[in-house]
Amino acid sequence: MKEIDVLIIGAGPAGLATAIRLKQRLNAEKKDASVVVIDKEPKLGFHNLSGGVFEAGCLDELVPGWREGEESFFKQTVEIQNDELYFLLPKAAFKIPHLVVPKLMNHIGDYAVSVSRMAIWLGTVAQNLGVEIYLGFSAKELLIEDGRVKGVKLMDLGLDRDGKKKSNFLQGETVHAKVTVLCDGSHGVLSEQLSKLLPPAKNPQVYSIGVKQLIKLPPESAFGNNRAIHTLGFPNRFDVFGGGFMYSMPDNMIAIGLILGLDWPYGDLNEQQELEVFKTHPLIARFLKDGKIVAAGANTIPEGGYYSIPKLFTNGALLVGDSAGFVNMEKIKGIHYAIRGGMSAADAILDALTANDFTEKILAKYEINLKESGILKELYHARNFRQGFKYGLPIGMPLSQIQSFIPFPISIEEDYKGTKKGRRLNRKKQDSMDRAQFVALSGSSHDENQPSHVAIPDPELCQQCGKFYAYSCTHFCPGEVYRQKDGKIVLSPSNCLHCQTCIIKCPFHNITWTPPEGGEGPRFKYL
Amino acid sequence: MNFIVLIKQVPDVSNIPEEAWDREKGTLRRNMLDNVLNPLDFHAITFACQLREKFGDESGKVICLTMGPPMAKEVLLDGIARGADEAILLTDRAFSGADTIATAYSLAQCIRKVEREIFNGNREYIIITGMQSVDGDTAQVPPQVAEVLGMEQIAYAQSFDFDKRLVVKRIGPHGMESIVPKRYPVLITTTACTEPLYRSFHGMRGAREKTFHQWSAADIQVDQDKIGLKGSRTQVYRIFSPSEERKKECCFPKSVDELIDLIEQKYKQGPVAVQGKVGQVYAIGDKKPSYHGELWVYIEQWKGHVAPVSYELLAKARELAVPLKEKVGAVLVGHQISGIAKEMIARGADKVYVVDDPQLEYFLPMPYKKAVSSLVIQHKPQIMLFGATPLGRELAPRVASSSNAGLTADCTKLEIEDFIKGKVEMIAILKQTRPALGGNIMATIMTKDCDTQMATVRPGVLKANEPDPARTGEIIPFNIQITADDIRTEVIARESLVEKASLAHADIIISGGRGLGTKSSYDKFIRPLAAAFGEMFPGKVEIGASRMAVEDGFVPHEHQVGQTGTTVQPKLYIAFGISGAVQHISGMQQAEIIVVINKDPDARMFNYADLGMVSDFQTVIPQMIEAVKRRKKS
Repeated sequence: MKEIDVLIIGAGPAGLATAIRLKQRLNAEKKDASVVVIDKEPKLGFHNLSGGVFEAGCLDELVPGWREGEESFFKQTVEIQNDELYFLLPKAAFKIPHLVVPKLMNHIGDYAVSVSRMAIWLGTVAQNLGVEIYLGFSAKELLIEDGRVKGVKLMDLGLDRDGKKKSNFLQGETVHAKVTVLCDGSHGVLSEQLSKLLPPAKNPQVYSIGVKQLIKLPPESAFGNNRAIHTLGFPNRFDVFGGGFMYSMPDNMIAIGLILGLDWPYGDLNEQQELEVFKTHPLIARFLKDGKIVAAGANTIPEGGYYSIPKLFTNGALLVGDSAGFVNMEKIKGIHYAIRGGMSAADAILDALTANDFTEKILAKYEINLKESGILKELYHARNFRQGFKYGLPIGMPLSQIQSFIPFPISIEEDYKGTKKGRRLNRKKQDSMDRAQFVALSGSSHDENQPSHVAIPDPELCQQCGKFYAYSCTHFCPGEVYRQKDGKIVLSPSNCLHCQTCIIKCPFHNITWTPPEGGEGPRFKYL
Repeated sequence: MNFIVLIKQVPDVSNIPEEAWDREKGTLRRNMLDNVLNPLDFHAITFACQLREKFGDESGKVICLTMGPPMAKEVLLDGIARGADEAILLTDRAFSGADTIATAYSLAQCIRKVEREIFNGNREYIIITGMQSVDGDTAQVPPQVAEVLGMEQIAYAQSFDFDKRLVVKRIGPHGMESIVPKRYPVLITTTACTEPLYRSFHGMRGAREKTFHQWSAADIQVDQDKIGLKGSRTQVYRIFSPSEERKKECCFPKSVDELIDLIEQKYKQGPVAVQGKVGQVYAIGDKKPSYHGELWVYIEQWKGHVAPVSYELLAKARELAVPLKEKVGAVLVGHQISGIAKEMIARGADKVYVVDDPQLEYFLPMPYKKAVSSLVIQHKPQIMLFGATPLGRELAPRVASSSNAGLTADCTKLEIEDFIKGKVEMIAILKQTRPALGGNIMATIMTKDCDTQMATVRPGVLKANEPDPARTGEIIPFNIQITADDIRTEVIARESLVEKASLAHADIIISGGRGLGTKSSYDKFIRPLAAAFGEMFPGKVEIGASRMAVEDGFVPHEHQVGQTGTTVQPKLYIAFGISGAVQHISGMQQAEIIVVINKDPDARMFNYADLGMVSDFQTVIPQMIEAVKRRKKS
């Protein structure tokens, strides 16, 4: 069998854009090289979730003509023509005048999309170009030999819940490649492994969690088409960074969600419930009348920005997209960076293939390409945007407007340090959707006769956590993977949405997450 | 030895996304479901690969074969990644609309080509497949493939031994059987008996380089009249929501005593919704019926004991025969069975056809098929009913295939009605209603272009008549020649089934969820209640649990009810402290009587309940035990 030239981990926009660009250029130059994408998801798009507004210009470059034709992906997008920003108090909403809203936060002319649909489409484009895509394979670790990334090792399969080998045991296969591109998303398992080996960034990466629902409205809904609403304030207190969004989607649907910075201080904050609270606000509730929730999900977003971006290349490997931290909080967007970043990576890889040299020396071109594409410039402009909000909204807001003039990096701590002892939100449970229903709508499922893919290395610490942080994981996990029983944490790994919040937010950094057997987890289709 | 594994791409009914439901019509949009490999086929592939290894024959191949649209190639690549050597996709628009008869014929023609061209005429091969697919769930195609190809089948295989010769262990109608094939080729259907092999990444990558054939109708030399819709003898004419059949309205009794009374009443009464419409008897008038002949029932017996479903079918045939003005026939096959023939008359038969032969003492598909088919071909009944028991599901498809009959599997409702649409006018036909897509939709099916309308009927959904000794009828002996050629397998051992804790076959399940709080309250409350029910009601009682209760360690995983545990279909399901996560509900909603006790009045479980009580289990259970015990005494 042909050796793999380029192995891409993750079939999201970043990975698929890398694959598409690379194959396009290889085909144009009549060169043959194998480009292989693997992902743990069972089907394209299932593990992709995004707020969903993006700058479409990058697709004109990646797939020229993508807007044409009846079956085009363009038909599944909604152009934003109406963009509003509100500040919410519990019973009131204040529209922030267009003139005051910073230009970069403007979304008119952008497109609301389902990133899972986008991944399905990009996957088809890639396959038609000759990219090999294999889904349902979980990568466990990087193969590193002589200081070079040589590929990946897949998970062992066929272990029972006690870790004993079943009759169908399959030793984790090794997959060698000349260059490995890590596009495994926010807090990706492999990109985390790589980051630990490389020099640290100025700031640690910080994250937020987005919880999202897709709601089908009756025809002639009050929300209307081609509209985007962003909100600040309610239900968040000033010390919780984040906001809500509502976007028009095709077929009388709207996407609604809440994005919360994981550095929140409250031990008992449950973001799935926060979204339900958000939905009760008069401004929002009005639009949701007679709506039916058809899908739900959650994912984390790396939002540290410029100073949290790790080194992006090493011998035999590159980082692209969310796993590289390509998110601009000033614009609250990242998909177009994932795509452009993928294109930049592909161009560097092509040079490496031509030179048959996969060392840092050649792959460093990736960073040059990123600079030329403007990504790093935009990210640099937003370099201190997120950090200021650690002081709360009243200081963070004005600070964020002058941040680009601050000559030094504002430092920031890891999110788990943000949880403060004894701080409670004490939110009343909402009557509407609970987490069991939320999980059901995410479609997540796992074979239960396998070792738990989440683990708590030191259960003793949970006692302390209970005392200080209200058993934080039992609140922050949107899938309710963690439940507290007699002072102990009971696990329901089968509920897991693969969002990575637990590893990031456990106040004791006491949760580990390994990929479960391939082909499991959530089934996002329209998120 | 070579192996052909028949596989199928099916919609994933275990994971139905919300958007796939057409809530207004209550049906599923099939195109919104994900496509997956039929769950049992994982086992078939694994079984074949394990056999290939045991036979240790270097040149032995495992070939995956599927018939379907071009996208079904996906499951073939999957099969190769799990260990198959080659794959064949049989695809052609001409195949579309095929029922099991037309499908089996097409597959059989394809297998003949494989035998000729890939195996070079070598007939040492085994066809392996899952017994049924989750979408159609008929279990008809495998026996019909075997029938068309004239080979014997070994159904419900659980494992095999290989010591110079192959011994297949299978679940027979009356216990485990160890079977040695005396002649090849043979067809084996598997149960969920293996730990299915995983796809290997390198296998998956290499799959595209392995031999992959795509054949059309022309490639396999088919008779155009026998394939697709044209070659089919059944046709779906209506799809509707199961809720139309079964309107659920939860009744909340005021006291525990009343609750137990209602449970007892409903339990004894059996299912209600599936009975025909009362008071509306079909009248044929002076119209000319489309079908002619008697109405037959296959009588399933074991050492002179008749399966209850056979009496249920006799009662149904009797009822249907009235407007048709035809006689009811019972078909009795076995050895030393003349003693029970009279009983058939008392139960509603006008004629009893008896095939008594020492070689028919035990059920074997080919000889039994020969007996029944010969009768059917000779007498051409217009209707023939079988119980949808393991035996009926093995026998009926072969009988239908070898006579001129169309067959519908697993019916829950049978009615006589006219079908008039455009030019098609069918008078007094048998309307056959059955669940499909994992019970998520109901389909009504009619039989066309043949002599006999055959159906297998789910046991327990119809009511038997009390025997009437005064009835008269005719007993007609029928002789056939069972030759050595008919006996192609040898049963070398039989053992009775060991009764294991098995939720899947329980009549009553008492289930507890996380609401019970602790393992000790599960043990203290659920187990004694189960014991008490066991004493009061006939039938097997098991204890069950929700996934959360299992995770909390109340009971081991084999008691878990739900999508990721066991899917159950008991007569009575009682849930305590279970809120009703979707994955739990999808595993138990097919239960006949659902009783929910929960202190949270908003618990989703109540939406699925027939009987409910908003109360705490600690109060209710002791009262229930007491009430049950009182009734037992009286």
